[in-house]
Amino acid sequence: MGGATAALDYDAELMLRVKGGDSGSFALLLNKHRASVVYFLYRMVHSQAVAEELAQEVFLRVYRSRGVYEATAKFTTWLFRIATHLALNWLRDGKNERWQESLDQRDPGMPARQAADGRPSAEQCMVRESAFEEVRRAVAALPANQRAAVLMHKYEEMEYSQIAKVLHCSESAVKSLLFRAYETLRARLAHMA
Amino acid sequence: MSHNGCRGETELLLKYAAGGLEAADREAVERHIEGCGPCREIVAGQRAVWAALDGWEAPPVSEDFDRRLGARIARETSWRDRIPRLFSPALIRRGLPVAAAAGLAVAAILVMNRPKPVSPAQPVAVQQVEPLRPDQVETTLQDMEMVREFSGLVQPDPDSKM
Repeated sequence: MGGATAALDYDAELMLRVKGGDSGSFALLLNKHRASVVYFLYRMVHSQAVAEELAQEVFLRVYRSRGVYEATAKFTTWLFRIATHLALNWLRDGKNERWQESLDQRDPGMPARQAADGRPSAEQCMVRESAFEEVRRAVAALPANQRAAVLMHKYEEMEYSQIAKVLHCSESAVKSLLFRAYETLRARLAHMA
Repeated sequence: MSHNGCRGETELLLKYAAGGLEAADREAVERHIEGCGPCREIVAGQRAVWAALDGWEAPPVSEDFDRRLGARIARETSWRDRIPRLFSPALIRRGLPVAAAAGLAVAAILVMNRPKPVSPAQPVAVQQVEPLRPDQVETTLQDMEMVREFSGLVQPDPDSKM
């Protein structure tokens, strides 16, 4: 965790206020990062219920750690490190049953994907569902650490260096993870262009 | 970017496909991919991947997410608060005389209800041991000498080893 970046990190400042007993700052942090943490976890575990449960645990751990928090790195690095750790543990512990189950089930929490002009036609729905399913399965087929790296790179727009800190590995290892992951995804999804 | 360098330039191609390059680098990549089929294919494939990932919507977060989290934090906080409170100086000051009186009462009850000492058990009959005869001692000593000699034969002197 590098101290230089932390000086400019507003989130870290908020977290220091939480450490000082300001619960309002915790609410601000939660409001700011709730969605990104839940979405990241959802794309990792493919279940809305599990993603929210894990996200609750992430923020609970953040709150518990407020007393010992040191602003030595970007707050999001720490936040996603906790989230990734929980997701990888969940996948490892219950992979065989829950993983496949969550892939096969239709998530009731999914929003209806509508065409821009209003109600989607049945055909549009089927095409979108099929495409969505293909993406979901392609990402699910990636090894867990490649999946985490892709999700942080694509959706959180993290730099290689930050992903490396989250995953506790070198930048070159992250590049290697991403190149292999994107290579696999290109092979599976390039026809969707 | 040469053909030999294509593989090493994947990072640049990924950034280009994501639209994340400065003008100079972008033009250099465009010039290269005009004449390089494999790199052109990587860029097209990567654009397709990102478009597909863009279309992967996540469901909205439940409306009661914060309420559930708040309840968990409150539950945890209340437990954590209660434990130190048990050892707070005020509680100790008030509770100490009560605890001492209760301790004395328990001790008194224990003393009053102390079970009567158990009567000593019947003395164990001492078995008579027959005294050794001198010839038995002599035989034993001879046996020990034999064992010692036998041991010397089985484990020869270490100095005699090669």
